[in-house]
Amino acid sequence: MLRLPAFALERPRTLRAALELLAENGQSAMVVAGGTDLLPNLKHELFDPKLLVSLAEIDELRGLCASAEGGLEIGAMTPLADVATSELARTRAPALAQACGLVAGPQLRTMGTLGGNVLLDTRCQWYNQTYFWRSALGFCLKKDGSACHVVAGGKKCVAAASNDSAPALMSLGAVLHFESASGAREVAIDEFFTGDGIQNKKIAPGEILTCVRIPPMPAGHRGAYGKLRDRGSIDFPLLGVAVRLDCSSKDVVENADLVLTALAAQPKRVKRASETLAGTKLGTPAFDEAAEKVAELAYQQCRPLANIPGDANWRHEMVPVWVRRTLAAAATEPNVTT
Amino acid sequence: MAARDNHGTSPPWGRSFGVLGQPHRKLDGLAKATGSAVYADDLALPGMLHAKTLRSPHAHARIESIDASKALALEGVHAVITGRDLPERYGVIPWTQDETALAVDRVRFIGDPVAAVAAIDEDTANRALKLIEVRYQKLTAWFDPASSLAAQTDRIHPDTKGPGNLSKHVHLCFGDVDGELAGAAHTIEGEYEFHGTTHAPIEPHCAVAAVDAAGLLTVWSSTQITHYVHRALAKVLHLEAHKIRVVQPCLGGAFGGKSDPFSLEFCVAKLAMLTARPVKMLYTREEVFYAHRGRHPMQMRYRTGVDKDGKLRAVDAKILIDGGSYSSFGLVTTYYAGQLLTGPYHFPTYRFDSTRVFTNKPPCGPKRGHGSVQPRFAFEIQLDELAGRLELDPIEIRRRNFQGDFTRTVNGQRVTSNGFLKCLDEVERLSRWKERRGKLGFGRGLGVAGSMYISGTNYPVYPNDMPQAGIQIKLDRSGLATVFTGGNDIGQGSNSMCAYIVAEELGLDLSAVRVVAADTDLCPVDLGAYSSRVTFMVGNATIDACRKLRGQIVQALAEKWQVAKERIRLIAGQALDLEDAARAISIAEAFQIAEARFDTLGSTGSYNTPTLGGDYRGGTIGAAPAYSFTAHIVEVDVDVETGQLTCENVWIAHDCGRALNPMIVAGQMEGSVYMGLAEALLEEHTLNRFGLHAGPNLLDYKLPTSVDTPELYARIVESIDPEGPYGAKEAGEGPLHPALPALSNAVFDAVGVRLRRLPFTPARVLSELRAAGVDAKRHAQAGLPARAEKGAR
Amino acid sequence: MAALNLTINGDRLETAAPDHWTLLEVLRYRLGLTGSKQGCDKGDCGACTVLLDGQPVLACLTLAGLAQGRAVTTIEGLMPAHAREGKSGADPVQDAFDRCGALQCGFCQPGMILSARALLNANAHPTRAQIRAALAGNLCRCTGYTQIVEAVEYAVAVAAGVEPAPRAWETPRARLTDIEEQGTRRPSGQARP
Repeated sequence: MLRLPAFALERPRTLRAALELLAENGQSAMVVAGGTDLLPNLKHELFDPKLLVSLAEIDELRGLCASAEGGLEIGAMTPLADVATSELARTRAPALAQACGLVAGPQLRTMGTLGGNVLLDTRCQWYNQTYFWRSALGFCLKKDGSACHVVAGGKKCVAAASNDSAPALMSLGAVLHFESASGAREVAIDEFFTGDGIQNKKIAPGEILTCVRIPPMPAGHRGAYGKLRDRGSIDFPLLGVAVRLDCSSKDVVENADLVLTALAAQPKRVKRASETLAGTKLGTPAFDEAAEKVAELAYQQCRPLANIPGDANWRHEMVPVWVRRTLAAAATEPNVTT
Repeated sequence: MAARDNHGTSPPWGRSFGVLGQPHRKLDGLAKATGSAVYADDLALPGMLHAKTLRSPHAHARIESIDASKALALEGVHAVITGRDLPERYGVIPWTQDETALAVDRVRFIGDPVAAVAAIDEDTANRALKLIEVRYQKLTAWFDPASSLAAQTDRIHPDTKGPGNLSKHVHLCFGDVDGELAGAAHTIEGEYEFHGTTHAPIEPHCAVAAVDAAGLLTVWSSTQITHYVHRALAKVLHLEAHKIRVVQPCLGGAFGGKSDPFSLEFCVAKLAMLTARPVKMLYTREEVFYAHRGRHPMQMRYRTGVDKDGKLRAVDAKILIDGGSYSSFGLVTTYYAGQLLTGPYHFPTYRFDSTRVFTNKPPCGPKRGHGSVQPRFAFEIQLDELAGRLELDPIEIRRRNFQGDFTRTVNGQRVTSNGFLKCLDEVERLSRWKERRGKLGFGRGLGVAGSMYISGTNYPVYPNDMPQAGIQIKLDRSGLATVFTGGNDIGQGSNSMCAYIVAEELGLDLSAVRVVAADTDLCPVDLGAYSSRVTFMVGNATIDACRKLRGQIVQALAEKWQVAKERIRLIAGQALDLEDAARAISIAEAFQIAEARFDTLGSTGSYNTPTLGGDYRGGTIGAAPAYSFTAHIVEVDVDVETGQLTCENVWIAHDCGRALNPMIVAGQMEGSVYMGLAEALLEEHTLNRFGLHAGPNLLDYKLPTSVDTPELYARIVESIDPEGPYGAKEAGEGPLHPALPALSNAVFDAVGVRLRRLPFTPARVLSELRAAGVDAKRHAQAGLPARAEKGAR
Repeated sequence: MAALNLTINGDRLETAAPDHWTLLEVLRYRLGLTGSKQGCDKGDCGACTVLLDGQPVLACLTLAGLAQGRAVTTIEGLMPAHAREGKSGADPVQDAFDRCGALQCGFCQPGMILSARALLNANAHPTRAQIRAALAGNLCRCTGYTQIVEAVEYAVAVAAGVEPAPRAWETPRARLTDIEEQGTRRPSGQARP
């Protein structure tokens, strides 16, 4: 069996205790939430922490509830399965609920957490492999090596953001709440990801993501998440499309947002999507034409790389198709926002 | 001699069965369902060490030196071995033994085993691996089979004759192929490609070895051929075979992938001998991909000529086979690629030229439908193309060319029972082919394909005149029968099959039959679970052994009761006098009466094939005592925007002779189709540009899940073969073949595009659709019915 | 080496393992509960599925230390739990898998059966689509899933006290005329000398 490298495990009961452990142990400690991403990566010797600090027993980090202002507050340790099946999430943040319901397979959604998915390590076919495999390759830019095998001569890692929740949360304008031994901070998820595939998240050592806040959506909010993958289960996205449509009471689009993932190190917002779709009425040829234009915009703005498995040109071809289909799904599903 | 006897398709007591033909549970079903069944990695012996393998990071290199001193010095490490410790060559085929347990001087693919460490636990063994220093001198690595065939330097096996990196070449011609092609009303030529796939059983390979104080070596291994492992261990370890015991525990899937002897079996044995402690080695999933022996990539060119009625006149094939780094079963593969195509259709003339080439890749070998899935893919598409040319229904062209039963093929194979026409009828009816084909609208289609496959082969891998299957049965005074079989139950249910036959023949309840299997100390030799031979051969041997015992029991009762033997029936745990119900006794009493009459009750049974095959070199390879036949109809939905194919339904009709247990037969049929579709749609065993396996794990190598698998409708056709056990033939491999070409043919029905290269990844399908001018938007805008558009192409 | 206090199949057990051992390693190699299988090393196949507080999870990606304080159910626990309820035989899901031919090599089935058990505990009357979805994290290489899905439906029917639906293969078989009835056809192979 592929074994984990040796490390010590701590299971603090409180957030404070967890933060203290991180502060004491510095860079040699890592946080583990559901473990569904970290443990395979540890088995692949991609990290070598001396200490794992598990958040599993911190009750205050788990749970999904309506926020005072009418949005959502989701504890970082809330299982993905709970987000996917929560009536509150399905009505107030349909794109997020759908995205969480499409992560991996049933067991991993039970184990994996929303916070863990937001903080998922970037993925690449030259990186997510065993130590032996990577050593035979001569390693890569992201870990233990100096060459990029995706972009010849590339000096910047282009491993792909592969978390289904992130584009959905970006479309929803979510805010991430972090705590550390020295205090708390909030950051809009739009500001959180970077284009560096080695570390695509602006998270400081010692910080713990505790909560994801989603602002209230307007009454005519619609959302959908479309996921391209080889199989109907288990797989990471080959392309993820989060759609937001805020409509008037007459189903006219007032504001829209599209965020794509599994392209490069950070999810990508389609520019000019809102202005293109605004003013069109769902279910009319005008909307379909606008959707077609947005699909074309997305195609022009995206350049999938051969970072994750799957033909990069084909993934590029799929961008407009999945943009159109996900827009259609958002437009045709019953408006569930209350 | 009895071994060669046929037992007839009906038992001596008449035509009715009490056990056979029913969906009985399997002997080991509940043990598996409750987690109590013991697989190789479930074994733990006192003081057991754990072993790991150091593997080559180079695709082709000379080993200049290995320094294991630092590894040996690590606390907890008990032994390190290298190729020098096990230099003896082995290989399943006696004439092509080119493997060693660990590389001797040369590594031939990334992942080739180089050294092995035994330590107190896996973590320590893994640490030790990183301390072994190996110096390599890199050689040119050959990845492309055509270039490899032309290699002049850095040959992969320098002691082979060549040319280049040739592994095996077979050229056979039957009849005047060129003349028939010249005179054909229509000829069609095409190139087809199979990409390479692997078995991926969910259980990784595992072996455990222990040497007792008297020097007996026992190896428990997840093998599907205990006997070959036994022979290979004796050869490589230089031990007398009687000092080695090989046991196959419960096996977690094989599909041909556990047919070869593997490095780990020799390593645990050697390490156990060196350390005097039990040693276990469990492959990681990545290592299973390197052990491989999967289906060979093939580049195939077929030329077929037909007369004006669509009857075949000539088939001409040229096949280039990418063998990977070792021979494995490759000699047989090279023959099978040609020899197994001559049914269910009549080939008046036939020529094939197949060339297997070594490359610096994990070695290919036998996978479910060994050697014949790839040619079948090509030929069944070509038949569809011919049907299109002649404007014939694709089922009709197959009917017209049906070879018939009790016939002989152009390459000298004897065909007995043949239910192929019935298979076609059944899938045609169940799929409502006539009403639906070509009428499902653009993007949705139906496709058909047929196939045949061997039920065992008369080629016993190493030449000998001994039986291919042996059985022993011991009867107990309690009314218990214990069956000893060398056959390997790999999940297909062969142990249960033995028990059903014994229960049927001796009138026992299934709970009164035990099966002891795949243990070389306890069981007579069987050649193992490959070539779909077990039901046919072990089944016949079991009948052979049962008939002897049944004869004794019936005779003893007839004498005691003073009645004719024909009046005695053994059934459902009782011995009956059919004309005097009051005489009924329990089967235990019957056994006791027989034991009193004949002394201790036990018997042996054997099976060997009759002399079969054509009278030419290689003529026996692919010659089977019976053949199974299959027809599939696949229903597909083509997403013309994405290239994604969704297989919606598959109707499978399979002629298995007689279904000894229809539920198990259906399970084999369904599993075969699943695997065939997976190979067509998702799976790709391939190397990247560095010669590394592109994704040696079950996330990148994609096995379909329950939501990716269509509804499968298994329809059993029973042709009752004259030589099979009660008429039975195989069901485990044949039903895989048609899935791939039927899918391609369905895509043609759906969108009018021929897919000739596997796998049908969405990217490839989309590019083929575009190349053929299929454009979703244009199609929708034109508002034309799909068939009109298709007709225009 | 850390002490572990685990509750497995209702038993409170004390054992010890290094912190980096997974629940699967502790079950298999410390406690001898080898029914949970290891297939892929890292969460891709589902063979190691166990129930944690009733929910299916992968034991190969669960650190043993984090299973403390939670109820672990392994495949070995189902039949004794059934017996504790005063019932005989295996758990009805296990029995249905055996009854329906869903166990070929059997290696994926402990995990598969636990996923099915958890589904039926939550939903006594799942649709076929719901069954397929609930089992979509458990790879089977033998069956093509048909007989597995049929087994779950069989267990549903048995629990509901209704007649199970015929399975896909249970249509009358197509039988050609028995050759011995024709009497003329002989195998054409020669007997070996």
